[in-house]
Parts: sequence; C-alpha cells; structure tokens
Amino acid sequence: MTKRTLTTFNFDFITRTLRTTGVLLLIVFVVGIYYFGFYDSLAVLSAGIWSMVNLIFLAALVRTALKPDGVDKLAAAGLALIKFPLLYAAGYFLLTVEFFRPIPLLIGFSMVLVVMVLKAAARAFLKLDENVINHESSSRGLA
Amino acid sequence: MDYQTSLGFAAPLAVAFAAIGSAMGLGKAVGSAMEAMGRQPEAIAKIQTGMIIGAAFIEALTLYALLAFFLVMGKIGA
Repeated sequence: MTKRTLTTFNFDFITRTLRTTGVLLLIVFVVGIYYFGFYDSLAVLSAGIWSMVNLIFLAALVRTALKPDGVDKLAAAGLALIKFPLLYAAGYFLLTVEFFRPIPLLIGFSMVLVVMVLKAAARAFLKLDENVINHESSSRGLA
Repeated sequence: MDYQTSLGFAAPLAVAFAAIGSAMGLGKAVGSAMEAMGRQPEAIAKIQTGMIIGAAFIEALTLYALLAFFLVMGKIGA
C-alpha cells in the first residue's frame, strides 16, 4: 500500500508538471497574441509542446528501458527511434523556421523546466515531501 | 583572422563542447542512477523520477547551446 502510494506520488510529479505546463502555455499563447503578436506566441507554444513531448518520451523511455524485471526491448527501441531522430528533427525544424525568433523559442523550451523548478521549490517550501516520508516511516513502524 | 571567421570557427566548437559536456553529465547521471537502483530496488520510482528530471535539464542545456548557435549564425553571414 505504502509502496503504491509512493510510486503514484513520484510519477504524479511529472504528470502534474506536464498538465500545469499545458495550461500555462495556453494562457501564454492567448495573452501573447495580444501583447507580442501571433508568430511569437506560436513559437512559445510550439517550443513548449515540443518540450512537453520530449519529457513524455524521456519518461517513457526511462521507465521502459530501466526496469529490474526485464526490459521490453521492442518498446524501448521503438521509443528511442521516435524520440531521437523524429523529435530532434522536429526541434531542428522549429529552430530553422524563418518566422520563429529564437528568444520566444527559448522561452517555450524553458517553460517545462520553470514549472518543474517552481513545483519542486513549492514542495520543498511547504515541506510536502517530508510529510510523505514521515507517513511512510510511521506506516512501516519506524517512526 | 577577422571577426566573422573567428566566430565561424568558435560557434560550432562551442556547440560541440556543450554536447560533450551534456553527454558526460548524462552518462554520469544515468550511471549513478543505475547504481542506486541496484542498491535500493525499492526506491526505483523515486530514483527514476529524479533521473528523468535531471536528464531533461541536461538536455535543455544542449538545446540552449544550439539556440545560441542559431542566434550567432545570423551574425556570421554564412
């Protein structure tokens, strides 16, 4: 029970980060169209979505390839084949498209990381992880 | 050697160094994570999450280097 709670908690962090980033990107896109123009907002949105997809594939690849109970080689190879050539080709396309400026792209690429850092900082500030660890220890009879 | 030529030499070299640094960092991170997973199989989920986040940050650094290269490329005039 405790183990399941911890596992859910851990992978939940990435899922919640992705969800928050998606909402933030949509808000930035809508507001950005008014303040910075359509192409700059689209650049932020595209780079942010690329970053999110990259994180999804990275997480899936790590979970598939690094398992103690045997690796699903076909799934791992498929994920690697999609992530490395196709996703990076899409990233290169974003960088070389003429009407996307580099700075909005940079903002979009950083969006997931900013959300991740802020979420982790908030967890540390509110001491949410300590509560989980204490709960785990007490349920094992260690505390 | 004029400004544009030296920039033309330096920019790809800088991206290459950034890629080498990222590769070394990623290799070290994954290696340490594998070692930790072997030692503590019950903490695999936590270690994997930390590793994914670390790998995302390391990848982003390479991406920033590539972006900087594209910013500089406009000044090379290639």
